[in-house]
Amino acid sequence: MDQFLPILLMVVLASAFAIGSFIASKMLGPRSHLHAAKVGPYESGIAPRRELAARFPVRFYLVAMIFVIFDIEVVFLYPFAVMFRQLSTFGLVEMASFAAVVFIAFAYLVSEGALDWGPGKRLGSRAGAPVTRSLNATVRRVARPGTPPSARPPVLVEGASTGSGAGARGLDPVRAGASGPHGEEG
Amino acid sequence: MLAAVAAASYNGDPVFAKGITLGVWIIELVKLVAVFAIIMVGVLFMVMYERKAVAYLGNRWGPNRAGPKGWLQSLADGLKLFFKEALVPEGADRWVYRAAPVIAMVPVMVSFSVIPIGDTVTVAGYTTRLQLADPPWGILVMLMASSISVYGVMLAGWASGSKYPLIGAVRASAQMISYEAALGLTVATVVVLTGSLHTSAIVAAQHGGVLYHWNVFRAYGLPAAIFFVAITAEMTRPPFDLVEAEEELAGGYNMEYSSIGFALFYLAEYAALVTNSAFFVTLFLGGPDGPYWHTIGPLWFVIKVLAVLYVYVWIRATLPRLRYDQLMDLGWKKLIPASLAMLLIVAAGHISWRWGLAALSGSLFAFILLSRAIEVGRTQVEEGAQAELESP
Amino acid sequence: MSFLAATGLAIGSAWALYGVGTALVLAGALGVVLLRNPVHCALSLVTTIFGIALLFVDQHAYFLAAVQIIVYAGAIVILFLFVIMLLGVDRKEARAPENVRLLVPMALVVGAVAVAELLALARLQYWAAGAKSTTQSLSGPGSDIQKLGQTIFTSYLLPFEMTAALLVIAIVAAVALVRRRSQPPPAPPRKSAGALRHPARAPEAPGAAVRPAATAGAGRSAAAATRSPAAAASTPKTSNETREGRAVS
Repeated sequence: MDQFLPILLMVVLASAFAIGSFIASKMLGPRSHLHAAKVGPYESGIAPRRELAARFPVRFYLVAMIFVIFDIEVVFLYPFAVMFRQLSTFGLVEMASFAAVVFIAFAYLVSEGALDWGPGKRLGSRAGAPVTRSLNATVRRVARPGTPPSARPPVLVEGASTGSGAGARGLDPVRAGASGPHGEEG
Repeated sequence: MLAAVAAASYNGDPVFAKGITLGVWIIELVKLVAVFAIIMVGVLFMVMYERKAVAYLGNRWGPNRAGPKGWLQSLADGLKLFFKEALVPEGADRWVYRAAPVIAMVPVMVSFSVIPIGDTVTVAGYTTRLQLADPPWGILVMLMASSISVYGVMLAGWASGSKYPLIGAVRASAQMISYEAALGLTVATVVVLTGSLHTSAIVAAQHGGVLYHWNVFRAYGLPAAIFFVAITAEMTRPPFDLVEAEEELAGGYNMEYSSIGFALFYLAEYAALVTNSAFFVTLFLGGPDGPYWHTIGPLWFVIKVLAVLYVYVWIRATLPRLRYDQLMDLGWKKLIPASLAMLLIVAAGHISWRWGLAALSGSLFAFILLSRAIEVGRTQVEEGAQAELESP
Repeated sequence: MSFLAATGLAIGSAWALYGVGTALVLAGALGVVLLRNPVHCALSLVTTIFGIALLFVDQHAYFLAAVQIIVYAGAIVILFLFVIMLLGVDRKEARAPENVRLLVPMALVVGAVAVAELLALARLQYWAAGAKSTTQSLSGPGSDIQKLGQTIFTSYLLPFEMTAALLVIAIVAAVALVRRRSQPPPAPPRKSAGALRHPARAPEAPGAAVRPAATAGAGRSAAAATRSPAAAASTPKTSNETREGRAVS
């Protein structure tokens, strides 16, 4: 257990340094003169108008869940790696079968498209795909060079109801109003 | 193999063999201060090294005012931050907001303490290793540190009470955990080659000869590359720096931090850079071992770390940022299967070349299966998206 | 400083480790129960995990201590934090106490049963104290991880391989939670279409809507639903939410 002593000392020293710098900065820095514009959240100079959406894409949870599973697999690999010389062929076959089973699950995961982020490649280049930008797609699909004008996606008119995305968009008070400086993003 | 014999009865730093006496305390404290100083100087140096090198790569001068040729600029910047107003934004969760930089910094510093800078030295009858600690955890300290440092990023973004830091933090933590599995798998490959978790045993197994003992060759190269990519993503360095994409997020998870909080994040970031480069050298490039003159270990170590650091700067100056789906694809669909396959191939190749060949062919088969699975998955997602576009 | 050199230090430090570990475990557990903000609760849980890791170190089970930190603190609590932060249950309005009248007596009953169980187990001394091992103790040469590897990969081969099956089940379950519907649902009346479909939808992850009940457990989903626009809001507010959702991408 003595071997952990230096690590403990390092934890203490690093924490002391960090906390000490906070105290030093408190003593050395100027006194705060707070006002609303200063303590408010920074949004590149624009006063924040609404809170962040309550929820994030489900992919983030999925990544965290799958990470738990792979982390457990990795943890099993360490005793194997340490004892590999003694276990030799037997251990190898054992670990290979373990890895194969987990790999099959992984292949299933991938084939379900569970790890696909963002629009697929072919979706982006499919000619004649409807509307430019909808609520479900983040890319603005534009025609590739060389596409005949007839196959090009129609140009979206702000506020007009042309298809699925624009229908919902028309309900948006901000967007449906004048297309002000913040009306268009991305 | 020398390493296999040594690993069986390996007990860490020999300085503790006779119990903890006053001399041991003095030695440990001296080593502690030395390692701390190495990290600090390394950070100050690295910040300037990066700015200078990026500037020269871009045909500019870089900072050249403070100190000789501008080399004291980072020190001046760091000191200046002490004199700035420490602001806690209105929507912030005060205690978590203050704790986040500390949580980000401490694990990085701790993980540097297991890096062997040289072999053993004997001072006044005490034989000790040139590394701060050599616990039974060994290389696992690195994995623990990378698990914990996710908290620093995540809590900083959350506690700021602001939109863009939260988005940056979510991106960052998802990215960090995505590459952690690949990181763990490649480190396990090195452990297979060594049979011990002790970092000192890992470098001892690579010692001697002209380069061919280095793990980068013994592991057939690929795990080293995967490790390098994984730690780059883990640190959210370019080209994996979507976390601080200025165009979208106005600065990332530490945007609401000013003064010393920001300085600590910056320190943690560059300390992680130095530490992880040192880990790369330790795990794959032989640590304090050179092609010739094996006695000047620490010098070889420093040279190799500087070379790895230069590669980071070079990458930053060269490569454009990845898109988020490319980042996730690379981490999950390429690096994790590849590192798992390499682990089995390296282990099998260690038994005999026949087993190695069998593992290789099995991996190729798995590769074909996986590429088909990726194809199927992509089609599914596209069809789903198409169906949604067409549905009213 | 010479008192530190006393030979009793090893025993003393083992006790100190035990004391600190236990204190961390208890403080963290109390924090999980008593703190208001779910994120603070999750951080208290991390404190508990660190305490348990220290107790493992005290038992010379170094590898298990590392696993405790890597898996529990590094992966599982991170998952908790993702759910807490991203579902927005950490906001004040989502934290209104629900059904306290029913929950308090239930908690008291369950707590009393747990304490009684603990006391009963403590009476059967060898069971709760862990004095009796199912196999012989693993003393002897070699580090703890070597012994662990030896045991897992020889004596407990079957459980190890079954763990792989368990991981497969976990992966399939995780996919099932977020699986897209193979058929788009019958189109609802046009006016309410936005309210039903969009709020939880990721712009760059088409079709993968959060299902709160599946992801967050019943209690949280109730809390989330109260502020979810799907439950209450009028249509314009819904499209506001969607616009913000886009910023997330």
